[in-house]
Amino acid sequence: MTTQGSPEKGKKTSSTLILAAAIVILALIVGAVFLLQRPAPTPSQTVVIRFAGWSAGETEMKSYQKMIDLFEKQNPNIIVKYEVITQMFSENILASYAAGAAPDVFYLDSAWAPTFISKGAVYPIGDKLPKDFVDQFYPFLLEPFKGSDGKLYGVPKDWSVLSLFYNKKLFAQAGVPEPTESWTWQDLFNAAKTIYQKTGKPGLVIHAEFNRWLPYLMSNGAPPPTFNSAADAAYFDNPAVKTALTNFITLFQQGRKEGWIVIPSDVNAGWSGEAFGKELAAMTIEGSWMIPYIADQFPNFKYGSDWDLSLIPQGSSGRATMAYTVALGVNSKTENIDAVIKFLMFIEGPDGQRELVVKMGHTLPSIKSLANDPNLWPSHAKELSNIGKYNIVKVFFYGPKTGDLEGQFNQVLQAAVRGEVSASEALSLLKTKVSQSFKG
Amino acid sequence: MSFFEESRRIEALVFILFTLYPLTLNFFFGYFSMMFAFTLSLFEWDILTPMRFVGLRNFYEMFLEIAKGFHELITSPTLVYLREPFFNGLKNILIYTAMVVPVQTLLALVLAVIGNQKIRGSHFFRVAYFLPATTCPVIVSLIFIWLFMKDGFINYFVSALTAGFKPDWLNDPNFLLPAIAIVAIWGTSAHFSVTFLAGLQALPREVYEAARIDGANAFNRFVHITMPLLKPLITYVVVLGTIGALQMFDLAWVMAGSGGGPGGAGYTIALDIYNTAFIQLRYGYAAAKAVLLFAIIFTLNYYVQKKLEFARVV
Repeated sequence: MTTQGSPEKGKKTSSTLILAAAIVILALIVGAVFLLQRPAPTPSQTVVIRFAGWSAGETEMKSYQKMIDLFEKQNPNIIVKYEVITQMFSENILASYAAGAAPDVFYLDSAWAPTFISKGAVYPIGDKLPKDFVDQFYPFLLEPFKGSDGKLYGVPKDWSVLSLFYNKKLFAQAGVPEPTESWTWQDLFNAAKTIYQKTGKPGLVIHAEFNRWLPYLMSNGAPPPTFNSAADAAYFDNPAVKTALTNFITLFQQGRKEGWIVIPSDVNAGWSGEAFGKELAAMTIEGSWMIPYIADQFPNFKYGSDWDLSLIPQGSSGRATMAYTVALGVNSKTENIDAVIKFLMFIEGPDGQRELVVKMGHTLPSIKSLANDPNLWPSHAKELSNIGKYNIVKVFFYGPKTGDLEGQFNQVLQAAVRGEVSASEALSLLKTKVSQSFKG
Repeated sequence: MSFFEESRRIEALVFILFTLYPLTLNFFFGYFSMMFAFTLSLFEWDILTPMRFVGLRNFYEMFLEIAKGFHELITSPTLVYLREPFFNGLKNILIYTAMVVPVQTLLALVLAVIGNQKIRGSHFFRVAYFLPATTCPVIVSLIFIWLFMKDGFINYFVSALTAGFKPDWLNDPNFLLPAIAIVAIWGTSAHFSVTFLAGLQALPREVYEAARIDGANAFNRFVHITMPLLKPLITYVVVLGTIGALQMFDLAWVMAGSGGGPGGAGYTIALDIYNTAFIQLRYGYAAAKAVLLFAIIFTLNYYVQKKLEFARVV
């Protein structure tokens, strides 16, 4: 009986082993399923909310964590789980909806907002927010977050605006007077030409992007674009749009040939901010995000003494600029709406924005009263004081297909700038892009 | 006897335990997602709203796009990329595969033969040229963006060879795809050369010695002995290389951008599938395109294996 080699014993041992292994595997699977389904043990009546955002760097993440800690201290029954998604943010959020694991509150870019709103993915938080809280914000920044039902689905956490940035040293070197509030587009182009002739550096570097060109189009009579259906392709048949776009393309092609207007890659730069920071061009039209970038990457190129910002020039129909904003959207299926609203009001309210927006200096505060905050960077304060001088401040969203259309438009405009297509071909291609994108 | 029987049972158990994990993963992330993609191609879906069955409409639309692309290619070839991006991606990836696969296979073979020599420092070279295979493709392409700049490192040598001509690799539609191909060849041939090296080291020495006695020189030995004996491995490398090339995404994404860069020259079918799914939110249509890519890969590889059938080890 004690023989090791007994066949019966051998069979018994191995079947016991197999059984034991099967039990272990089963236990592991059951355990895993159990763990995945069971929420983390929390003290009674404590709710956990998940907050997802992207990050503009470690400092920003630390500041957010600091504010979350403060919020949790003030609200001991709410735990906020901060999840930073570094890449392809909106795509990730969409995928998490498919998996049924979307966060309770997340960044909602103006370009993506119509998609989330029209599909019922975000909560109409306007119904829950006190009126005096909503009234603190710049009204035009709320526009992209309003649904077709007129309800408010998001409140902007911060924003940026396009301005004209110019290199004071290059202007002085060329003997060209600095931009003034009465500058027209023609003044800008003339200055760009002169600077190029005198200094050898291009006067203007600008991306071949639809949203960067819109200030020119709108200030020359083009209506702010909205594309809700294939029929809206007719926007590019509007005489003002046609004329302004044709003029700009022709001017760009000519200017590029002569050297006074360039796209960033012409001067070996990845984007306008880099070209401007490296002083490879005298002017650019960029967003507020360029300001902290210059301060960080080019500390010797100083605001006030070396560079300044001004209003975007006026055209025949006034003056226009673009605004870019991100809201906090709330998952329509959240089970803790009251806690989420409390958190949202804390992060986006005056205290939250003072810490997360004003002090950080990455973007502009979306609350009007913070425009006079003593901690605001002087360059940001100047941008905010300029807002009232524009006839049109168009927020970056053209309807439900904004992201897709912007990408497609830019391809056409880049081809036009390179001279691969004429202005009229570009216009017809832009029309096709709109009608095609509403086909699916 | 029974001891062996028992140990065989334990072996079987261990086998089951070790394979269960990868098999589960393979089922969920491989076969299940593949079946899901096939099913999805018959639906219209934007993630946020319920799926809608559309039958073969996605495929009909896709073939219509391809037909339009051919028409565009004949009538106004310069505008193909703006009017028919999907067709452009398809065209680009086939050109890219034709550029990359033969060169990477040949280069891998040459590198392996060099690495197989008993010369001083060969070990160092083996490690040195295997390094690219261990580096993340995104980092590799970021470094190459810098090397490919108009006044960059690569043009420093190119201009010396071409009497001052400097291609604008990343901004000229004619050079963008070759630039991506160069990075891919550099990154993958090292990996495949290790496969060849393993094969070379397993080849019987007697055959070489006999050939040497018969007076065959190094070149003849390579062409008439090494190549035929390595044919099963060459098939393997060509098949894997083709699959990798046709699915290329990361290099194009970083070096050309999601739109494919200047002239759409860096646009690939994988980028188009990504854009269709995540930017246009047409997951069903993107799945239909993925099915087409699968069909292309399957057919091409079937053809390659059929062609090289004689090379199979019997």
